[in-house]
Amino acid sequence: MNRAAPVEVAGLGKRYRQTTSGQEVVAIDRLDFRIESGEIVAIVGQTGCGKSTFLDILIGLEAPSSGSLSVGGFTPYGDFDRFRGRIATVFQQDRLLPWRSSLDNVRLPLELAGMPEKEQRERSLGWLERLGLGKFTGAYPHELSGGMRQRVAIARAFALEPAILLADEAFGHLDEVTAAELRETFVKLARECGSTSVLITHQLEEAIAVGDRILVFGKPATVLADVSVAQWPREDYAGLREAIQATLQANAPDPRLKR
Amino acid sequence: MKPSSILPEAKAAGLFGRFPREGLVSLLVLAAVWETLAQLSPTLGIPPFAVPSFVRIGRSLLTVTPIDVAITLLRVLGALLVSFVLGMTLAMVMYLSETLERHARPVIRLLMAVPIISWILFAILWFRGVEFRVAFVLVIVCAPVFLVDALDSMRDVSRDWRDMLRSFRPTRVQFFTKLMLPATLPSILTSWKIVMSLAIRVVTIAELVGAVTGIGHQLNVAQQLFSVADVFAWTLVLVASLFLLEYVLTLAEARLLKWRPA
Ligand SMILES: Nc1ncnc2c1ncn2[C@@H]1O[C@H](COP(=O)(O)OP(=O)(O)OP(=O)(O)O)[C@@H](O)[C@H]1O
Ligand SMILES: [Mg+2]
Repeated sequence: MNRAAPVEVAGLGKRYRQTTSGQEVVAIDRLDFRIESGEIVAIVGQTGCGKSTFLDILIGLEAPSSGSLSVGGFTPYGDFDRFRGRIATVFQQDRLLPWRSSLDNVRLPLELAGMPEKEQRERSLGWLERLGLGKFTGAYPHELSGGMRQRVAIARAFALEPAILLADEAFGHLDEVTAAELRETFVKLARECGSTSVLITHQLEEAIAVGDRILVFGKPATVLADVSVAQWPREDYAGLREAIQATLQANAPDPRLKR
Repeated sequence: MKPSSILPEAKAAGLFGRFPREGLVSLLVLAAVWETLAQLSPTLGIPPFAVPSFVRIGRSLLTVTPIDVAITLLRVLGALLVSFVLGMTLAMVMYLSETLERHARPVIRLLMAVPIISWILFAILWFRGVEFRVAFVLVIVCAPVFLVDALDSMRDVSRDWRDMLRSFRPTRVQFFTKLMLPATLPSILTSWKIVMSLAIRVVTIAELVGAVTGIGHQLNVAQQLFSVADVFAWTLVLVASLFLLEYVLTLAEARLLKWRPA
């Protein structure tokens, strides 16, 4: 697996059996698509359509029920340890460890990857600096604002300079100004790292601002539309937004978004 | 157990924990009542040895042999360390294997339901070495508390954190050292407090099983001599030792949990 790796999703399905009723829930119906190396893809979909489930499979926390998902030729679930140091996620809510300072939180994945101590420190300090947290390296999470904590979480993900970078509603709970700022930083850094990036969101503006491409998920997850944002006329982003909205509402592809 | 309540307490702690003025007043009143009883015992027809005066108790305190105190405390600390390592190890293994947990839980509950006196009798019947008997009783009483507390608090560690850590591919050892142990540290420290006072109370009874040293043995001797003053003195020493140990633990806690918001 190289610095950046393509993602291959073929006939992917995921079913859960509910603990109490024993009933089967289809979280992902069938997904087929490919994400190229270094591409930034935004995934949008209604709540409960299986976005987080897809991400869990992509991270390797869950196994697919059918079909396959591979990153650079390896499956995140089956080849779990092969992804050490190569995959990083920015979660909704920072998920920082409260007993670690900013610096030590950013270091965490580097420690797990077995990087030499000195390099861990230098790299983490560098990333905190780039995210404007140079003065807060020793602060504990509870001493930081929500926006600052999310910056630490972003630094933690980027510090690995991962082949694949994931984000699940990473900016959803922040105010609009902070969110816009961090989105921009995220895209800039992802481009610099060259990581293949998958960003899950329910905000269409965010998807359009961040993604090279937008995958619109139906419910239960299927790809309703696959839009190249780059090829969409810039002055008509409002139209793109409307078309995606219509697709989500109808749970069927809008004619304006031909696949 | 509410680990969240630990730190403010720890910060305000003196040698006796948070000690309200009212507590001091009650203690002084209690002491005054005792001393009055001691002075009035001849007139009240109470045998003089039953309620010794503080002067008499003070004289007994001077006869307390530090070596016995040290031996008892060493027995307690040694047994606590063994119990802790044993309890934590088993907790980690059981955390990883739910099958094992399902098998072991009932056994542990059974062990925890056995009265201390029964363990002491078993110890006498099964083992010859005095030190081993004492250690056995202490460990069998303390280790399950460490185990159950640790296991429960590990199971309580949020799925969000576990998923976050797992997404970065920790080894099994890292999973515990980087997440589980620090996350459960507040509750581990609470267990130490509970188990320490348990051990201090159990060790004296355990020392009755043939020990010729230690506070428990000295209490036994005092009882045979009908010396309430001596019993009082040794008990005071024991309680003071417990407070001291608790104080050390509170200091450690304030240091280890300094990351907590005040
Ligand atoms: N562990 C599980 N057991 C049973 N059902 C599950 C489980 N995880 C998810 N589901 C079901 O799968 C479906 C998809 O859930 P998922 O969390 O992936 O949706 P989502 O698109 O992320 O929603 P949201 O936008 O609200 O975060 C839901 O119907 C949910 O109830
Ligand atoms: Mg979700």
